[in-house]
Amino acid sequence: MSNLIHSLIRISAFLGKEIAEVVRQPRLILSLVLGPFLILLLFGIGYKNEPRAVRTLFVADPDSPLAQQIEENAASISPQLIYSGVVPDEQTALNRLRQGSVDLIAIAPQDAYQTIRNNKQAGFTLYHNEIDPAQAGYIEYLGQIYVDEVNRRVLISMVQEGQTETLDVQAEIKDARSNATRMRQALQTGDVLTARMYQQRLNANVTNLSTVLGASAALLSGVEQNVGSSGENTENQDIIAVLAELQQQTGDSADNPVSQSDTSEEISRLDKVDQDLNQLEERLSEFQRISPDVLVRPFTVETRTISTTQMTAVDFFTPSVIVLLLQHIGVTIAALSIVRERRSGTMELFRVSPVSSLETILGKYLSYLVFGAFLAAILSLLIFYGLRIPMLGAWQDYALVCLALLFTSLGLGFLISLLADTESQAVQLAMITLLLSVFFSGFILDLRYFWEPVRIVSYAIPATYAINLLQNIILRGKDIIPLFMGGLLAIGVVLFITSWLLLRRSMARR
Amino acid sequence: MSEHVVEATPVGGLAIHANNLTKKFLEEFAVKDVSFDIPVGKIFGFIGPSGSGKTTTIRLLTGIYEPTEGQVQVLGKAPKDFTASIREQIGYMPQMFVLYPDLSVWENLNFAASLYGMNPVGRRAKLTPWLDFVELTDHKTKLAKNISGGMQRRLALAATLVHDPALVFLDEPTAGIDPVLRSKFWDRFRDLQSQGRTLFITTQYVGEAVHCDIVGVLVAGQLVALDTPEALRKRAYGGEIVDLETKEPITFEKMFQIQNMDFVKGRIRPVGTNRLRIIVDEASTAIPDLISWCNENGLSTESVSEYVPPFDDVFVQIIETEQEKQGAQSGAADE
Repeated sequence: MSNLIHSLIRISAFLGKEIAEVVRQPRLILSLVLGPFLILLLFGIGYKNEPRAVRTLFVADPDSPLAQQIEENAASISPQLIYSGVVPDEQTALNRLRQGSVDLIAIAPQDAYQTIRNNKQAGFTLYHNEIDPAQAGYIEYLGQIYVDEVNRRVLISMVQEGQTETLDVQAEIKDARSNATRMRQALQTGDVLTARMYQQRLNANVTNLSTVLGASAALLSGVEQNVGSSGENTENQDIIAVLAELQQQTGDSADNPVSQSDTSEEISRLDKVDQDLNQLEERLSEFQRISPDVLVRPFTVETRTISTTQMTAVDFFTPSVIVLLLQHIGVTIAALSIVRERRSGTMELFRVSPVSSLETILGKYLSYLVFGAFLAAILSLLIFYGLRIPMLGAWQDYALVCLALLFTSLGLGFLISLLADTESQAVQLAMITLLLSVFFSGFILDLRYFWEPVRIVSYAIPATYAINLLQNIILRGKDIIPLFMGGLLAIGVVLFITSWLLLRRSMARR
Repeated sequence: MSEHVVEATPVGGLAIHANNLTKKFLEEFAVKDVSFDIPVGKIFGFIGPSGSGKTTTIRLLTGIYEPTEGQVQVLGKAPKDFTASIREQIGYMPQMFVLYPDLSVWENLNFAASLYGMNPVGRRAKLTPWLDFVELTDHKTKLAKNISGGMQRRLALAATLVHDPALVFLDEPTAGIDPVLRSKFWDRFRDLQSQGRTLFITTQYVGEAVHCDIVGVLVAGQLVALDTPEALRKRAYGGEIVDLETKEPITFEKMFQIQNMDFVKGRIRPVGTNRLRIIVDEASTAIPDLISWCNENGLSTESVSEYVPPFDDVFVQIIETEQEKQGAQSGAADE
């Protein structure tokens, strides 16, 4: 019992000492708490969560129709594409790009019309001067949007022309319907010759219709086939089908010229032709009513979140910043701790005194956990109440994750401290840990972007687990995910045992 | 500060027993075949130049280092078998100031007390006398970094003693401090001794040997002398020293006669024309004989007194003697 009390007193020695030492450095506390808060605040104020505008210079033959269209359309194509003019030669444009007066050069294809006629796609060439792969990707994406938009406009103009042409089709349908009526009248009066004449005219009408309607009908039919018609229209046939049936009816008539004996069969066929013509007229009216924009771009997308809160970029980064900061504090103070004791000579005092390596490491863990928890509490108050970051989960879960993270980070720091020979080495290793965490913990880049074997590095970093846990608690309102909490604590326990064994070796007789 | 009693008096009344203690770093001897016994309650002075192996010896005794060869028992136990309770009876003051500069004098003392498991209840009452002992009571709220070097040494001494150790290792406690403070330190050490503690003190100041009960002289890792200060002094010169001064010049013939006297040991050394430095068996018996001889031989004595050489001289003499001995041994080995 007495031994246990003595042991507890020895452990408490570090608690008092470490906290007193830290309290003597108010600037350190201020920088550790206020620093990250101010960084987040500045980030919140300064970060524009909108796509960057790109100054774009076009290269095209000034006399080409494409150049005129570029000038007409460029300004209205995308708000992110700022039209900076059209120049005739590539070199001038590239010089301006190098000087930085424009961000993007778009070179229009030479003789686009002839290229397309030769069954080839006409390509725009884009030049940029970005070194950031993300920005280069953005430029590429913007270029794709631009080309899609140009293609869309071409299609719209084609559809508009198609719709204009269908106006002429109305007259043809009317003529066909009139010829069908007269053929029926002739058949009813037994005037076979007149009936044959109108039969030939009707056939001619249907042939004209199929010719004129070809492109538009195929377009509408394509939309219908890809989208699938809704329930109420399932009985309706598309224009192509109606035309086909009409051709079949009139074709049958042509193959079998009207005779005196089969007038009743011919009249019933004419009834069917009438129906088909009505249906065709109806479908064409429908086609004309649909906006060309809807026809060439029938689908749009709207994304919705099932999260109950609308997150800003600051909200999203807050859990990661808290995690990185707590990890860095834990790693740095622990990393400096033992190496400093060793360098200053106090470790020699410990080795002579009754304090054991376990008591030493426990005392240090306890001291820094208390200090870290205090910092985390102040930082959290500032962030959640100062910056009004939403907290959807439970505070106790948040606190548990912070403590687990501090425990594990301290272990990492002590390991560094026991491996480093000097304080500068310890600081360097702590900085490398921070850098590693920035890249591999999911702070900036989603872990899914990494090659799977490399993800082992990610899952060796405490921050990876803690970021995931805190994002789920703070931003999704979820409970602690046992797998991630288990992973974080398992690393912490391994680091604790390793640090203890290394310290024991360091304090042993040699 | 308690009126101290050594709690665990080791068998045979020895606080430390070292036998052929040897420590090698790689192939180099830091300490070689060092043997000594230190009885409980004595001040043992370990004297030697910088790099002679004093700190290594302390580290071997306190269990920081493991000996390459030899045995050591401290408070009856080998350092590898030290229990927490044995460690609680040992105080250690390293050569450098290793306490925390950002803690106050009081906080440093409190930390040291906690490190030795001292109960927080009533701790203040136990620490305050130690603060008085090292005269730092008025400075207890000052940060350690803001006090003078001398005060830092005193703080380190207090931190070494707060847990009331029976055996205290002090590694060059007086290094780098002024003579007045050094003298005060030795007063404190004697106070500690009077409380029954055993002190193992290393020093580069040879003159401080006089304050010790037993002195070990360490040169290049080897213990070249181990004795009381008086015995060492005698051993260094082959006897006690008497200075004889006459009114008349001392002729060569008379010098020869003195040299041949029974109580004279070694060669006499003229200092000027009418003064001799003579090494004798016992100064107290030699002085009356010398006065009688001078009267009988027509010499008027101006003064006859015992000369007590400073320990620096004793140390130099011991080293020279040791080197001569080693030279003779190596010469004999060569032959």
